[in-house]
Amino acid sequence: MNESRPYRRPQPGNWWAKPPYRAYTARELSGVAVAIYGGVLFAGLVSLARGPENWAGYVGFLKSPTSLALHVLLLAAVVYHVITWFQTLPKTMPKLIVNGEAVPAKKITGLATLLAGATSLALVLVVLGVTR
Amino acid sequence: MPDPAKRELRILRYQPGVDAAPAFGTFWVENAENLSVLEALQSIKDTLDGSLAFRWSCRMAVCGSCGMMINGAPKLACSTLLRDLPPGPVTVEPLNNFPIERDLVISVGGFVKKIESIYPYIIPKEPRTIAQGPYLQTPAQLAAYESFSDCINCMLCYAACPQFGENPDFIGPGAMALLQRYNGDSRDAGRQKRLDAIHGEDGVWSCTAVGICSEVCPKSVDPANAVNQNKTNSAFDFFLRFLRKE
Repeated sequence: MNESRPYRRPQPGNWWAKPPYRAYTARELSGVAVAIYGGVLFAGLVSLARGPENWAGYVGFLKSPTSLALHVLLLAAVVYHVITWFQTLPKTMPKLIVNGEAVPAKKITGLATLLAGATSLALVLVVLGVTR
Repeated sequence: MPDPAKRELRILRYQPGVDAAPAFGTFWVENAENLSVLEALQSIKDTLDGSLAFRWSCRMAVCGSCGMMINGAPKLACSTLLRDLPPGPVTVEPLNNFPIERDLVISVGGFVKKIESIYPYIIPKEPRTIAQGPYLQTPAQLAAYESFSDCINCMLCYAACPQFGENPDFIGPGAMALLQRYNGDSRDAGRQKRLDAIHGEDGVWSCTAVGICSEVCPKSVDPANAVNQNKTNSAFDFFLRFLRKE
């Protein structure tokens, strides 16, 4: 009998850059945008604690073209992250059984995305209403 | 000018003890309307090269033996028809992420060990005698785990999983689907034993929710769901163990 000499093929180091893994890589990278946006908000909190002058500087930065461009990019990445996050949601929860049948993943994603969109819109409206 | 009645297959060959590393070999097979990749391999073995090694059994996508990389994607050779593949040469390789034994045959020992490690059988809540009759289950209780029982152990999900590619000790999608098949069963009481087996880095926590395992599954088992809902179960179990009375 021949002895077994299995050959191991290493996984290419750039697997994440190739299909079908690109969508996953984009989803995970867009998570970095969420972290950067958290950093922007946190910087605001720090400048608020440091006093009115510091706060005015922060607001000045927010109004600058650089900040506006950054926010457009961040918003696009965060929206992409939200959409793909809810696409992943059905994979992370137990099967929803209603009337003895499993609820399809697309339905769960659709409802959750709608709910997130509606609450985000409500929040924007409340903030706009408060600041006027 | 290639013969239109023939189809080119580029097959990764490896003969242990002879070849230092695998290399592609090219074969031309007589094409036919309904020719599957498996049938093309069988015709090569019958007429061109009897030394070509590959696994197969049922020819109808229920045995899970003929999983291989076809044009770079993990597929069952029996249910992949040549006419559905883009024109030009078809590349056939052994499943990614597994050691190659010979040609298209990979080592399955590691996978079998993983299956064994998760207690792949019902551990009854209460022992019943035959006289007491069968364990009953409602349609909803069946629906909670039924899809996970459709797994045919073809290992396509492992070939699609980059985390298994990085860490061969990762329990992986297929074994987790089987784990959920039993943990989700209303007649079973082995949940704690199985959770204890998958808490570590080589358990569920190697998964980063890439999700391609579920896309390549020929039986729509959705192993990504099995892995990811057990991350939640594993986390809950970690925090609640302080409250549990042993």
